[in-house]
Amino acid sequence: MIEISNFSFTYRESSEPVVRDINLTIPDGAFVGITGAAGSGKSTLTYAMNGIIPHCYPGDFYGSVKVCGLDTVECDLTEISRHVGSVCQDIDSQMVSSIVEDEMLYGLENFGVSHEEIETRVSEALDAIGIADLRDRTIDSLSGGQKQKVALAAIVALRPDVLVLDEPTAELDPASSVAVYELLRRYAREHGTTVVIVEQKIALLSDYADLLVVIESGRIRFADCPENVLEHADELLSIGVNCPRSATLCHDMKAAGLYAGPICRNVEDAVGMAEQALGLASASPESSRTAADAFAMTGAQATADIAERTAEKGGAR
Amino acid sequence: MSAVRGFLEYVPGTSLLHRMNPVAKIFCALLISVACFCTSNLIFLACVLIFDFALAAHCKMTRQAMGLAKAVTIFSLILAVIQLLTNSTGIELVPLPWGYIGTGGVIGAVTIILRLVAAAVPLFLVMYVTKMTDLANSMVKVLHVPYKYAFTFTSTVHFIPVFMNDMAGIMEAQTARGVQFDQGSIVKKIRLMVPLCIPLLVSSVRKTNSAAIAAEVRGFNLRTRESGFKQYPFAARDFVSLVICVGILVVAILLGVFF
Repeated sequence: MIEISNFSFTYRESSEPVVRDINLTIPDGAFVGITGAAGSGKSTLTYAMNGIIPHCYPGDFYGSVKVCGLDTVECDLTEISRHVGSVCQDIDSQMVSSIVEDEMLYGLENFGVSHEEIETRVSEALDAIGIADLRDRTIDSLSGGQKQKVALAAIVALRPDVLVLDEPTAELDPASSVAVYELLRRYAREHGTTVVIVEQKIALLSDYADLLVVIESGRIRFADCPENVLEHADELLSIGVNCPRSATLCHDMKAAGLYAGPICRNVEDAVGMAEQALGLASASPESSRTAADAFAMTGAQATADIAERTAEKGGAR
Repeated sequence: MSAVRGFLEYVPGTSLLHRMNPVAKIFCALLISVACFCTSNLIFLACVLIFDFALAAHCKMTRQAMGLAKAVTIFSLILAVIQLLTNSTGIELVPLPWGYIGTGGVIGAVTIILRLVAAAVPLFLVMYVTKMTDLANSMVKVLHVPYKYAFTFTSTVHFIPVFMNDMAGIMEAQTARGVQFDQGSIVKKIRLMVPLCIPLLVSSVRKTNSAAIAAEVRGFNLRTRESGFKQYPFAARDFVSLVICVGILVVAILLGVFF
């Protein structure tokens, strides 16, 4: 459980707080996505959860942050690190070794994992992330995406209670990003791990997160399940957060009075919604295709309608 | 990064040198290097050099050894020239305003080059056949070097290509904006590079700080001598190699004292 209450933080070198009045409770085993415009304080919030703030970055710390029952101010960073595994944004500087295997061993050795268990942990983590073939490679010879996977594997091998990841898919292609999220979700469910991810790709977060937190200028603007957050497409756009296209379409259809159901987070949701609307009970590929086509047509029709009305409005003015 | 790729980078292999204990390797290399400074016997130095290259050939590192020998030769040429101009002993070959270049100077110059190359090759060879982390971990395990120092050493080596890459990136960005790094004299190029040191310094301080944090959140402070997973036991080949290298040193000392 992560409990953040009335948390504000001002870095020593700045005069304004970077995050302020944060109140957030994350239950055990939750998959939480944090998003927001650049410079909104997302990373600072993760630093508060993994203890880097206040232990490494000095500044004015107000309120309290408790992770797994530990007060992050009272406990030292090493103690917090026993429970929280972190992957930072800058992957290059996160690497402490020059060979992948040594990078994997580093944390396990330090935290005193028994030598008999180390080999199992390393190979399991490498297999889970799908990079067993990189084991003997030098870190220098890896691509950005491969380095991110190595960093993730090195943390997963430590089996922390909480995983705090700052843009773990920044250098990955869309397919690999989805693969990493799939892996994280499966891993978190199997081990009961709480996952907190800072991510710009909101479509990914809305697919995988149980709780979506949107930060605007250091304050939490929304903290709810993705469906509810995506209802606020216009507000999200105004604070620099893009919505998945299916959500934007649902939102526009709602605004045009063509649709009244819940927001669709992705195409699968939309297909399901269209199937329901058309009364197609079975989910055979043919019917899904039909539903998808029907939805696309409805969408196209809605978009055309909206365009027409907007044009009319423009003309009236 | 390409500029430094390959320089002192571990080359995988299964040769005897690869399999030796890292501590034994570094000690053997040090013994050979010290031996080169204990005597000025040209035949001995030439034998050591041949031995060096035999080792390099054994672990398929002849190309690297040749490259290194060339670099060290160029560096030691400066010292050789000083020796040539200042050591006016032996038979006069070329008269100089302050003395002469004599056979003593020539022998001295050749000795310097031979000695430096023969002493440097084994040390660099060790770097090529040993993973840096193995070297540091075995130092901690076998020699009880505090982990902090071993980590500082490995981090330094690990960050060299990262910083070189940063510098290359900054220079490319400047070149794209019209700074002419590819033209003009060396002095002009250096003058153009000086202002780039500031962004490089800023980014390296940031990176070092992030690395320190990354190490700390992965239990750096908990690490003890027993933490290391890999064991570095001494095998018969390590003892034999050490005895051979001690033998080389003894021969060098005896030659130095009696000849």
